[in-house]
Amino acid sequence: MVVRARGLSKTFRGPDGRPVPVLHGVDVEVKAGEFVAVAGPSGCGKTTLLNLIGLLEPPDAGEVWLDDVCVSHLSRRAQCPVRGRSIGYVFQSYLLIAGLTALENVLLAARYVGRPRAEALAAARVLMERLGVAHRSDHYPPQLSGGEQQRVAYCRAVLNAPPLVLADEPTGNLDDAHAGVILTELRALCRERGTSVILVTHRADAAALADRTLRLREGRLQPQGGEAEP
Amino acid sequence: MVEIRRLLPRGYLFTVLGIAVGVAGLVALGAMAERITRFIDGGDRFVLGQISVAGEGMGMGTGFTAGGLLRAFKIEQIARVPGVAAVQGQVMLPLDPTTSQFLTLTQELILGVDPAVRMSNREFRELPVRDGRFLREGDRGVVVVGADFAASRRLRVGGTLDLATARTFRVVGVLDKTLTAPDRFAIVPLDDARDLWLRRDPLLVQVFTGAAGGLGRGDLNTGAAVAWAAGVDPDALARRIQAEVPGLNVTIPGELSRLLRQSTAFFSALLFGIGALGLVIGGLSLSNTVTAAVFERIRDFGIKRALGATDGQLLREILGEALGVSISGGLLGVGLALAVGTLVDARGDGQQLFLFSPRLLGFALVFSVILGALAATYATLRIVRLSPAEAIRRGA
Repeated sequence: MVVRARGLSKTFRGPDGRPVPVLHGVDVEVKAGEFVAVAGPSGCGKTTLLNLIGLLEPPDAGEVWLDDVCVSHLSRRAQCPVRGRSIGYVFQSYLLIAGLTALENVLLAARYVGRPRAEALAAARVLMERLGVAHRSDHYPPQLSGGEQQRVAYCRAVLNAPPLVLADEPTGNLDDAHAGVILTELRALCRERGTSVILVTHRADAAALADRTLRLREGRLQPQGGEAEP
Repeated sequence: MVEIRRLLPRGYLFTVLGIAVGVAGLVALGAMAERITRFIDGGDRFVLGQISVAGEGMGMGTGFTAGGLLRAFKIEQIARVPGVAAVQGQVMLPLDPTTSQFLTLTQELILGVDPAVRMSNREFRELPVRDGRFLREGDRGVVVVGADFAASRRLRVGGTLDLATARTFRVVGVLDKTLTAPDRFAIVPLDDARDLWLRRDPLLVQVFTGAAGGLGRGDLNTGAAVAWAAGVDPDALARRIQAEVPGLNVTIPGELSRLLRQSTAFFSALLFGIGALGLVIGGLSLSNTVTAAVFERIRDFGIKRALGATDGQLLREILGEALGVSISGGLLGVGLALAVGTLVDARGDGQQLFLFSPRLLGFALVFSVILGALAATYATLRIVRLSPAEAIRRGA
């Protein structure tokens, strides 16, 4: 899937009610099967950029296109299946639902897109087995380690085989070993399935795995080929 | 508790408990209002079921129909009035004739009736007997007691009862609860009641022994209950009796009912207030708990939206959970109120404070489900207006 973002801008309101501009007309293009890292200092707008591309919030200006569809201008109702079928999210804080078991969390991805449960269940078991969390299927998130939670969250993100995966600091709370598992999986997604991956990261080793790295500073993309941010 | 936890949606235990407390409050207050309503309605049914007649000079101090002397020939005159089906002479005395008992709604009364004559009250042809039997023709020295009367004195069939005059009566029956006046009655044969009256009232003894005006035992009635023939207007008949038989104090059923309603207007207002208070307290508690529970999970709903959930899917999911939680909380609340009410009513003084009628329990459950659904819908509509990212941020 080709992802194109044109002129994305976003402004939030600060605690005092004043506008806080976060993104200023950002253009991004990611080809099918491409692994793109987004780097930059804290507060530069990386997560906001990912949220806008992933339809998790609307831009103030600009457009997001997935292949030939301008998804950012679809109705709220029409955006739901796009989020469910075409985009997978991996978040830094895992965002698992505490009241559901690991397996139920993974299956949640299939529930809202009308996928048959038996088929989803089989796919979920295969994925969890591959990520080494199958033995934790019946455990609730608070009973899992950070690494296990992130692997469960990853399984949920890719259960429906979305053509686009957005990963926001997925290794931010993990040690090197667990981070390596997630990064290797993301890399494999691009190569084996042709999935487009956009990864927000602070880690140099993570960025090094990407086909290219976009650098954000104060809401604007830096010209490519510049110095890497720490 | 473990079993309950398995039945509930995970994470909702305290929500269910919160709802249960609200519903329990609603049911308990409603049960008290129901109890008062039943008492007032029972009195109303009683006065509308018969024409009550007393001799002239009725005073307040000796009971609802007592005070004057209703002599036998007057009863015969009443029986001859066209439209009258039956007349039952009665003696009704307060159990405790001290002033502190005047005009209380829970006054304990001694009622003397002739078992040979059928009860004249259309609404109370027969009083329901729980244990033992009712009075029979020829009975003497026996008593049938109301449910509260029996409970407050721990009376059982076969036991004995001293009725204020050192005369001992054998208990032959205990009435079932009527939740109105007969619950506090001690019903004795008419002749025994006449004896009690004579022993209690020295002036009456002097008049009686002096045989003034040819007074006989049959003249010792404090009043009479008059039954009307089918198709007769009781109010019109009461006025006709008053016109045709001089020297009587006749109550017009319709007027007495109206007077009773007026005199119990305070209680009606009180029970309306109790009911309204119950609805407000229970309703606020329930809706606040459900709304708070939904908002508490705002992060979860943000995640679900990110996974593709539509507004409709979320609403159905939340409504389903709210329904489960409301029904669980409602049932638990009803159970809690029933347990507390039963415990309070079993304290031993014979007074029943709560009436858990089926309509009250049904209303409480329906009320909790509807309010739970409305509160969940309101909270969901607020949540789906947020973007998934905003919902996740707010729930973080």
